[in-house]
Amino acid sequence: MIHLYGVTQDLEELPALAGLDGSPLERWRIEGLDLVVSRVELDRPEVSQDAVLRHAEVVEELLTRSRSVLPAQFGRAFADEEELSKAVRTKATDLRRSLTRVSGCVEFGLRVVGSGTSDVGARDDGSGRSYMRARLAESKERDRVSQKLHEPLAQLSRESVRFSGGELLVAAYLVPVAEAAVFGQQVRGLEAAHPELTVVCTGPWPPYSFAVDPQEGQG
Amino acid sequence: VNARDQQALKQQVTLLELVDRVLNKGVVVSGDIMLSVANVDLVYVGLRVLLSSVATLEERREELIAEGAGRR
Repeated sequence: MIHLYGVTQDLEELPALAGLDGSPLERWRIEGLDLVVSRVELDRPEVSQDAVLRHAEVVEELLTRSRSVLPAQFGRAFADEEELSKAVRTKATDLRRSLTRVSGCVEFGLRVVGSGTSDVGARDDGSGRSYMRARLAESKERDRVSQKLHEPLAQLSRESVRFSGGELLVAAYLVPVAEAAVFGQQVRGLEAAHPELTVVCTGPWPPYSFAVDPQEGQG
Repeated sequence: VNARDQQALKQQVTLLELVDRVLNKGVVVSGDIMLSVANVDLVYVGLRVLLSSVATLEERREELIAEGAGRR
């Protein structure tokens, strides 16, 4: 079976790393795109810490060795070269467009934990109606605070995406490399302005969260 | 929270973010989803996060199977 790490454009050289299972990395050129793969013996790649980290390590190396990289999602394997070529040919237009979208950018992840509300619940007098009203006010206030945190970061980004979840804000930002330092300063500024919140910013990552074109398949 | 705990926490969060990205994000060129939960040995990574990632993939696999069946 064949494991795909990523699709790249203008790959300079393969990273000096072994692939999953220790088998060598290979570079295949299909439709003008450089694919980085390795052969795996099992037909079902196992999710282990080693495998996940190795995949991530290879993708990260590709980031610095190519003009643009689309990390591949882990867990999919191809039977042979023909199957992979066919899949890439089918998706070549989308892949090229996505490579252009993420070119020159890195991804930052943001997780903000905290209530984001002060004491809007204090107006609750115990009745069902006032409880609902308080919850609604609280949820609106959370939305307002998370939007206020998100907005300036999104403005520095070429693209951004917010994920739903229990936390105040979970988002990813596609940031031009030249803006990365400014982005970091902005995050530290938000952190300082909101000591009541826990702000965790991770990155720079390869553009995992932006590898799929939101317009995919639409022409 | 002391500085060392904070550092450990940061590393842990970073690892979780990484696993989330590798398993849930990224481009899908095609191919079948073939993920085995066997021999999961993620020492530092919260199993709950991993399992929810796997659950997402399982759902998608079922969707793909359903789609494939519809096409035939």
